[in-house]
Amino acid sequence: MQIASQQFRERASEALLDPNIRTAFDGLKTGFAAARARSVAALPEFPAMREAARNIRTHTLENLDLYLERYEEAVRAQGGHVHWAEDAEDACRIVRDICRKAGAKIVTKGKSMVSEEIGLNAVLEADGCEVLETDAGEYIVQLAKETPSHIVVPTVHKTVQEISELFYERHRAYGFEERVTEAADLIAQVRAIMREKYFTADVSLTGANFLIAETGSNIIVTNEGNGDLASMLAPVHIVTAGIEKVVPSLNDASALLRMLGRSALGMETTAYTTFMTGPKRAHDLDGPEEYHVVLIDNGRTKMLDGPFREMLRCIRCGACMNHCPVYLSVGGHAYGWVYPGPMGSVLTPMIAGLEEAGDLPNACTLNGRCQQVCPVDIPLPDLLRRLRHERWEAGFVKQTVRWSLGLWAWLATKPRLYRSLTRLGMAVLHKLGGKRGRFRRLPLAGGWTGSRDFPAPQGQTFLDAWSKGAKQP
Amino acid sequence: MSADARTQILTRIRTALRQNGAVPMPPAALDRRMTAPPTAPLPAMEDDRVSRFIAKADANGIAVDHIASLQMLVPALARLLSETGLKADISVAPALADLDWPKDWQINFAAGRREEHLSVTFAAAGIAETGSLVFRSGAGSPATLNFLPDIHVIVLRTGDIAAYPEEVWDRFRAEGQGWPRAMNVIASPSRTADVGGIVVRPAHGPKAVHLFLLGSD
Ligand code: SF4
Repeated sequence: MQIASQQFRERASEALLDPNIRTAFDGLKTGFAAARARSVAALPEFPAMREAARNIRTHTLENLDLYLERYEEAVRAQGGHVHWAEDAEDACRIVRDICRKAGAKIVTKGKSMVSEEIGLNAVLEADGCEVLETDAGEYIVQLAKETPSHIVVPTVHKTVQEISELFYERHRAYGFEERVTEAADLIAQVRAIMREKYFTADVSLTGANFLIAETGSNIIVTNEGNGDLASMLAPVHIVTAGIEKVVPSLNDASALLRMLGRSALGMETTAYTTFMTGPKRAHDLDGPEEYHVVLIDNGRTKMLDGPFREMLRCIRCGACMNHCPVYLSVGGHAYGWVYPGPMGSVLTPMIAGLEEAGDLPNACTLNGRCQQVCPVDIPLPDLLRRLRHERWEAGFVKQTVRWSLGLWAWLATKPRLYRSLTRLGMAVLHKLGGKRGRFRRLPLAGGWTGSRDFPAPQGQTFLDAWSKGAKQP
Repeated sequence: MSADARTQILTRIRTALRQNGAVPMPPAALDRRMTAPPTAPLPAMEDDRVSRFIAKADANGIAVDHIASLQMLVPALARLLSETGLKADISVAPALADLDWPKDWQINFAAGRREEHLSVTFAAAGIAETGSLVFRSGAGSPATLNFLPDIHVIVLRTGDIAAYPEEVWDRFRAEGQGWPRAMNVIASPSRTADVGGIVVRPAHGPKAVHLFLLGSD
């Protein structure tokens, strides 16, 4: 996937003008955020479980080399293959070679964020494969040639009507001539199309919510049963996973799964949790003949080496974005890459680079909600603050911003001048604000006044008011 | 190249951890943690596990019935088939092949087929915490039978209901049969909300799950 994070400002401004986006993403507040709150409130043990989840992730990361070695050993003992990839290119090449060896024409895919991170679909398509996302949401955005706008619900931004149009246009190729407009009928088409594909696919690709060192398994969770079917029906199954996905044991995975469902959807569990371990056994009646895992670094060891290690605890639940005022008003596409919201604003600069990530670290009000709802307590606001600093140090902050901040800093060290200038500014704005006391438009502040009025200052400057207040006991 | 990447990655991990004050666990302690994995804090469970299991499964949309013995399964299925108006053309997990199946039923004792109206499988365990069923793939229990049918009929021994998944893992560890290719934990029929946030059943898997609890606790 191409990175367009540098255009965050432009994309965010466009999104703010789009009423559909605002309605769609606003729904996440009443939907997922509220469901999460209910399920957390119903569970007095939640804080203790959250702390345990955090500790499991920290412990695993502090012993990552040992757990990866044990995991690898366990996969091999079950007849599976483990491949190691330094970066995106390396990972895509490994998967492409396995597909070539299998003579793959059709590749069915379960949801995998890391496969989007490394741009896998494009590489396989260029190699002549038909690559099919099987998760209904991922399939819809793939068919529409769009990208997911949320990591758990990729289609938040799409209306039923848009999907109906899309299917009417594209599903005639599969013999669906009628226009259908009901969600159930639309999903029935996806089910029928995929049923065929599961049985004709040469290779299946899935991600891993976790990898288990104890058993050599990868776990996927779904409500649809798509990744599960894909991986058991194609003759070759390839798992792509970041190296940080490993956990020590089945018990650790269970502890983390309890946090995942509740944080993501406010649910105790998804419909399906599948543990896959190696290829088909001698007496098995189904399952793939070959089982491969590609362990991907792509910037993760760099994160391990310093203050961003905590970000590797992330279990990709999406809670931080469901509670982020910036994400909820601009939507997922504004972030310009695979990972949106607060977690994306940290991951994108870490994986794709500070320069590529543009303004993302600034897309944050530092209100702290993301960390509060994060099931593994990642200090997202601190990490974002640090990234802002690094961007400044690296010289990626625009000259105009540097210049105005420099001027402000100079002014702030001259209290008298600062106070008289702010008093003057306030008086002028107060006059201009007139009786309404608000501005519908303000030069240089279009970004503010586009989605809300700017109140004209009333009374005194903060410093004046504060010093007066301070004098009154 | 791949072997090289492995060394490089592991070396970078070790350097990163050493330089940044990570405290590696001593090998013996790590071994202990792997062979006897600790259990994190669990959600409290007030009811007994069987009633909790039934209540949760029911809330998740699984229909729960009781049968006193495996002999009762075939008559129960015959009733289900006539209620749903389905032909007696079904798939049954080979683990249940020895039952007294009617001669005039078409039964596939093998992996699932592309079109599968109804399948009958045997669960290895139940989890009361979430009302879920655990399946181990194997010669008697093809995983495809859990996902391909429109109606998934499951048999579970009531005595195999555990309170938490951790208990199930402990039981499997103690049984020492190794880990199967697939363990499927199933909590409900298949669903999606990817079209306009409207919940639709089914997505890719079964639209209905029917559970027969076998025997008493
Ligand atoms: S950062 Fe935390 S809240 Fe956000 S996706 Fe990751 S685990 Fe979930």
